[in-house]
Amino acid sequence: MNEEKLIMERFGNENPFRVPDNYFNEFPQRIMKRIERQKRRRRIIRWSIAAMLAGCVLSTTFLVDSFKQQNLPLEADNSQYIEDELDYSMINNMEIATYLTEAE
Amino acid sequence: MIDEARIIAQLKDDSQKEKAFNTLVQEYQEVLYWQIRRLVISHDDADDVLQNTFLKAWLALDDFRGESKISSWLFRIAINESLGFLDKKKRSIDISSDADGYLSNQLLSDPYFDGDETQALLQQAIDLLPNKQKAVFNMKYFQEMKYEDMSQILGTSIGALKASYHHAVKKITDFFQQND
Repeated sequence: MNEEKLIMERFGNENPFRVPDNYFNEFPQRIMKRIERQKRRRRIIRWSIAAMLAGCVLSTTFLVDSFKQQNLPLEADNSQYIEDELDYSMINNMEIATYLTEAE
Repeated sequence: MIDEARIIAQLKDDSQKEKAFNTLVQEYQEVLYWQIRRLVISHDDADDVLQNTFLKAWLALDDFRGESKISSWLFRIAINESLGFLDKKKRSIDISSDADGYLSNQLLSDPYFDGDETQALLQQAIDLLPNKQKAVFNMKYFQEMKYEDMSQILGTSIGALKASYHHAVKKITDFFQQND
């Protein structure tokens, strides 16, 4: 390619950049330390999530237990109300219309 | 040159994983660094991107199935990281500053740039290319990489790479015709 040749003749393809002294000697140690830190952080996150989930399970169990203990007598008191509600909900629109017409 | 099959087996073994990865870092740090540095230009940015490249590789080790060479896989991560970095940077700086010779002036005052004004100007011309075209130009022109290897790394057909390189060369010569 003619244009490529022109660029090559004028600029060459040598590397004009350089790095600080010892950069490549020290880099592997730096990156391995960063990986170690990341591993530690991931372990902490994993343990925190596990602890949080265990806390959720425990508090849910506790709440359900206390709810059951507190609400047992109430369920008995409410049973008549629930039966009435069920009866009313089975009344269809036609029956309501008839009732209203008769009331007039 | 490392034994690929052996290093892959060691990377899959938890007791040897870190040692094998350290070998990978030592083997490929320089070639990846220069690929990254030519794209991001400053040493500090290249250092950040190189660290991110190896961290990403470490986290993705379990996904590496050996379908491509380790070197191609690492190059792919490095190029993606570099292009991502350039996109982010482009959004945060004034794009017109490139055309004003901003980069070549910056390079001439960079303690880690040994080139002269002409080489700084070439870097400025390259910097005006779209990011992927810049990567293609650097790989071919400076690293003299084969199109087959570039195709594996960039996931682009050889024909498209040849066309991209041709366009890059044309744009760079046009830049010098306008600035001479």
